[in-house]
Amino acid sequence: MEEKIIAIAGNPNTGKTTIFNALTGTRQMVGNWPGVTVEKKEGYYIYKNIKFNVVDLPGTYTLTGESEDQKIAIEFLTSTKVDVLLIMADALNLERSLYFFTLLSEFHKNIIIVLNMIDLAEKEGIDYDISHLEQLLKVKIVKTIGNKNVGIEELKEEIYKRCKDIPSDFFIFNYGEEFEKSIKEIENNLPLLNFQYPKRFIVLKIMEKDEYFTNLLKDREEYKKIKEIIERIEKILKKPIEKFLIEKRYSIIHGIVKEIIIEKKKELKIELTEKIDKILTNNLLGPIIFLFIMFTIFHFVFFLGNPIKDFLEIILERIKNYFLNINLSIWSKSLIVDGIISGVGSVILFLPNIFLFFFLFAILEDTGYMARAAIISDRLMHKIGLHGKSAIPLILGFGCNVPAIMGTRILENKKDKILTSLAIPFMSCSARLPVYILFTGIFFKENQGLIIFSIYFLGILIGILSIKFFSYIFFKVESSPLIIELPIFRIPYWRNVIIEGWIKTKYFLKKAGTIIFLGTIILWFLNYFPNPQNYGTKLNFAGRIGNFISPIFKPAGYGFWQAGIALIFGIYAKELVVSTFGSFFGFENLSESLAFYFTPISSYAFMLMSLLYMPCIVTFIIIKKEVGIRWALFSLLWSLFVGWFCSTIFYQVFSFLKGG
Amino acid sequence: MEKLSSVKEGKYKIVDITKIGKLKKMCDLGILIGDIIEVIKPAPGPIIIKKGNITVAVGYGMAMDVIVEKIE
Ligand SMILES: Nc1nc2c(ncn2[C@@H]2O[C@H](COP(=O)(O)OP(=O)(O)O)[C@@H](O)[C@H]2O)c(=O)[nH]1
Ligand SMILES: [Mg+2]
Repeated sequence: MEEKIIAIAGNPNTGKTTIFNALTGTRQMVGNWPGVTVEKKEGYYIYKNIKFNVVDLPGTYTLTGESEDQKIAIEFLTSTKVDVLLIMADALNLERSLYFFTLLSEFHKNIIIVLNMIDLAEKEGIDYDISHLEQLLKVKIVKTIGNKNVGIEELKEEIYKRCKDIPSDFFIFNYGEEFEKSIKEIENNLPLLNFQYPKRFIVLKIMEKDEYFTNLLKDREEYKKIKEIIERIEKILKKPIEKFLIEKRYSIIHGIVKEIIIEKKKELKIELTEKIDKILTNNLLGPIIFLFIMFTIFHFVFFLGNPIKDFLEIILERIKNYFLNINLSIWSKSLIVDGIISGVGSVILFLPNIFLFFFLFAILEDTGYMARAAIISDRLMHKIGLHGKSAIPLILGFGCNVPAIMGTRILENKKDKILTSLAIPFMSCSARLPVYILFTGIFFKENQGLIIFSIYFLGILIGILSIKFFSYIFFKVESSPLIIELPIFRIPYWRNVIIEGWIKTKYFLKKAGTIIFLGTIILWFLNYFPNPQNYGTKLNFAGRIGNFISPIFKPAGYGFWQAGIALIFGIYAKELVVSTFGSFFGFENLSESLAFYFTPISSYAFMLMSLLYMPCIVTFIIIKKEVGIRWALFSLLWSLFVGWFCSTIFYQVFSFLKGG
Repeated sequence: MEKLSSVKEGKYKIVDITKIGKLKKMCDLGILIGDIIEVIKPAPGPIIIKKGNITVAVGYGMAMDVIVEKIE
């Protein structure tokens, strides 16, 4: 089948993901982890016998080589043969969207502008003369309402047409005769560079003094000449070129929009957002509301999730009994029942809770609340020496630490990146949730939500204190200035929320079927040999290893070998902490057995340890990739120390209080 | 003329953004010199401003370099 590549670019919150979902449905291949699109998200659809591969690029306002998420977008657009580039335009903010278009038109020619949110524009009393705009920009424009599926079929047809017949006449931004001459002059002086960005684009970037592109050139002898030209132009313009470029682009766009806008009577104004914002970002109320929302989310994760979980447990028991009663060799029966069903099963049980967690988070994200959360945290972030934007990867960490660490790419400053990466492992990811649900279900039945909330809270606190501590010791750099857009509040769109919730749950399921599955087999092996008749006891490998390290945890209240080996396997993947207990005791006897080994105090200490003690292997690898091996090792040792220390202190203090 | 970092709620006109890097950032988000903005939430904490359908939060450090003029 013929294949084509379609890329979607645009400002954040213009509906890229919504259109992406509308085009591809759930046929999405998520390489790493969905969420904030820092990497890129891929999917496909088939139309008229052609397979269209769609890529959702990170949302940006501009294209500089200075920020990593934007570099990803630039590199993708230049290194891959993109057949059609969709530029999302927000009908409520057409000028800014067209500004973005002028930047992109410098290096991609086959563009369709997707004019989204026309329903909102209509409510504001705004309409546009589209065919006129098409003529002015020499580009095809499709109107859409992403969350109502309006315009999607036209869009597919238009993409199809554009693939078939590539336009020969396209928009070239004209900066004025004099300036265009200078661009040509620099172009002629440009040395041969071994990458494929269009020359004109590079020249403009260098004229804008983009650090990344300037550095590529700095050591070449031609640079001196280019610099001279730039200085000469600035003398004539009497202002920095970058200022000239911005003004020029906006003034031309402004003229265009003025020409094509049709203003009607307003129906409704989006003033509600303003009022809500005053409350949500209030210095006192804001944080209280934030905590309340988080707490409510956790409450619902249990309130709605636990009944389904109990139901799953019954099914799982049936499956187990089925295997117990059929004819199989002893070892393979043990592998299936003790190893796989108990191990993987005890993780699968938490699927409903996990789904709810992601689902509720996706709702929160789709309403536009996340940006407000970043604003609320800004003061705190500043106090501890971080950038306000750091709050976004930190919050992502509650889903999974891996994408969160990749999310630090939105930070421009190396220092912010390192410090945030060091704190992220303390943000309790969803893989750790089963541990808490399990233990609080046994020891803190009345206050499950509250106790788990306290764990998350302690994670945040320790993350923050770590940052404060390290920024004090290692860094004394200024943060780059904060500026974040607050999208208007919206009623969440069910399809976005369900797809988001489902895709992340699918990731969890996939992990259970691969990494966790493999882990439980290894675990079974260590439990079964060398003495098969004594499965899961101290006599076998697992028991011996656990026994060897367990004395370290004695002061923390759980110095028995099962806990030791559970923590070791948790390094591989945090879900395995629960799996390991499951494989010793069987998931149906888990509660009774753990109640025998743990007390409420030691169980809390154990939860603290699970929260803090070490990033999982994948997280470790990503930290290494993003900020280097030294910081990755440092993070590992630090968290190990902090985990053990906090857990022990907690146990000792509370045992003392209780005893005394 | 005042700095955005020290104004109260109300309508203002942006007169200048003194650092070129900060100017770039504001313009990328669609806020330009000469624009009329409304301050929704003043300092302390990030300052929230609104221009048409665009609402942005600006950190204190950034707001120090944004010069505005009160509009009645
Ligand atoms: N009213 C309206 N809302 C939309 C439309 N398209 C998307 N949305 C909503 O706009 C928000 C941002 O969309 P999203 O796809 O996440 O934007 P992205 O950041 O560009 O990926 C979501 O709440 C969507 O449900 C539209 O055409 N009309
Ligand atoms: Mg998106």
